[in-house]
Amino acid sequence: MRVAQTSACLKACLHAELHLARHSLGTRLLVLTPLLIACLQLMIASLGETGAQAQQALLGAEAESTQQGYGFWVDSLLTGLTCLSLLAVAQAAYGLAAERDSGALRHLVIRRASRSTLVVSKLIALHLLIALALFLLLLGSWGLSALLWELGPVIEDGYELISEGEIRTEIHLGLQLAILPLPAALAFGILISVLAQSATQSLTLALGATLGFDVFKASLGDSAGYVFANFLPSLVDASYLGDVARLARGYSDVLIDERLLSLNTWTPLPAFLLCLVLSLIFIQRKSL
Amino acid sequence: MPEKLANSTAPVLLMQAVAKSYGSVEVLLGVDLTVTQGSIHGLVGLNGSGKTTTLDCLLGLSAINAGRIEILGLPPARLHETEGAIVAVFDTPSLHSQLTVRQTLQHAATLCPSPSRSVDELMTLLSLSRYGDYKLSKLSLGNRRRVSIAHALVGDPSLVLLDEPFNGLDAGGVDEVLALIQRLNRDHGMSFLLSSHQLPYLQSICTHLSILHGGRILASDSLDALLAGSQSILTVTTPNLTAACEILGSRTDLQIRADSSATHLRLTLEGATPAEINRLLVTSGIEVQALVTEQASIESLFRELTGASADQPAGERAA
Repeated sequence: MRVAQTSACLKACLHAELHLARHSLGTRLLVLTPLLIACLQLMIASLGETGAQAQQALLGAEAESTQQGYGFWVDSLLTGLTCLSLLAVAQAAYGLAAERDSGALRHLVIRRASRSTLVVSKLIALHLLIALALFLLLLGSWGLSALLWELGPVIEDGYELISEGEIRTEIHLGLQLAILPLPAALAFGILISVLAQSATQSLTLALGATLGFDVFKASLGDSAGYVFANFLPSLVDASYLGDVARLARGYSDVLIDERLLSLNTWTPLPAFLLCLVLSLIFIQRKSL
Repeated sequence: MPEKLANSTAPVLLMQAVAKSYGSVEVLLGVDLTVTQGSIHGLVGLNGSGKTTTLDCLLGLSAINAGRIEILGLPPARLHETEGAIVAVFDTPSLHSQLTVRQTLQHAATLCPSPSRSVDELMTLLSLSRYGDYKLSKLSLGNRRRVSIAHALVGDPSLVLLDEPFNGLDAGGVDEVLALIQRLNRDHGMSFLLSSHQLPYLQSICTHLSILHGGRILASDSLDALLAGSQSILTVTTPNLTAACEILGSRTDLQIRADSSATHLRLTLEGATPAEINRLLVTSGIEVQALVTEQASIESLFRELTGASADQPAGERAA
């Protein structure tokens, strides 16, 4: 009975969240900006390559495309994911705190949602939006890359250096490792929004902490691997996807450190759970 | 959703010895409040008397330090289990300003298991039809207040809490809201708890009233009972004030008030009638230039209980 009630309550809250998301400019930015940035990068790269080819043609050299498209595609994915991870943290940190500032959260708590349900429904809605943004990013950037370049194996002097299958496998692994920390980033944003006194404070704290970690992660050395944010695609990137871009351009010496692979796989989960549990604890005592 | 209580005197809201402090500042010092099913209950108090804190505690938005609260038999932390039987309209319209009026009401409908009124019906009810596609941020305060009320009425609530519901409304708007509250109370049995500083509006609509002062409820009863216990005041204007005082001072069915001035004698009537006093003064040769009777009202009762000055504007007296 209680489970059914909680489930109905969660469903209603999620429905309300998605209704809000459909009409929110912030959501549109979250979903579309990574795709637009990735596409912009691909077009700039294509223009740059066309320019280089034209220059070679003018100099009398044979003008031909020197690279296949996977390298560009992975570069654009990395940019899009960097943008997405920052926007995800920002949206998670801002949403709940802004609704608390405006007082809109009160209606949910009075009418339909326990405080825990409120946090969980926000987290689920954010995951759905991130999934949509990722889908659009992957599909859009792949489509544009395929349009602008040939997607195939790395061939050098007539020999296939790296097969298309190998490239795809590494891209799949790189993407998987880059996406794994996103739930933890969302839960971190939610935790900050629960703890902060206002939406502005929450946004500043969450983005400040994420970007601040970027600056200091090099000096943390090996211990940075125990922080989920180390594996988020970011401005000072340390994710495996960056290596995959090199591999797709023919640098066959790319090797993944097994220890880092393991940390990348398992560090985000406890971070996600910790942030979620702390959010659920602190929201109970928060004045709304 | 819990069924509406059949017993008309059953409490839908109960606060017992509720205490609340913010740090070292004690705001509520043991508030006792009961709102019965089917009543329109007014809550008045001075600035800082703890009205908003009382509502926040009732709704589970702020934790209490001591005491007990039950709304429809549930503690505030479990209000959501009533699935919309309790709703609130806050003093500042606390809705999503990026949504249009229609989207806002649709959003409220997503939270109701069975919305009792359609969005169009609600917009007509609150005279909002022409603003359906307007964003809330573009509406006047009065219209946003209407949207807040419409938002509250999407489901079929048993108890509606309204904090300063008349703020920002023009005279016509106030009349509409007053009529709507009365109609919903009469036709649907909804109970209301209104906190407002517009004392005349409260007097015109409330069946019950509580006066909150210094963190405590000073008086709480049906409006009729409270006003029956409140005395009428007579102001006599006469050039022979000393002589009038001597004649009236000996009577036991009235009292000369301390707020009398050099030209006006203010009397609390405890059985004496204005006609009797007029006759007595005139037959004693004292010229009576004017007699003004102040009927018992929430305002005079409020002033009497809280000691608020008559010179203060109403908004400051009971905000």
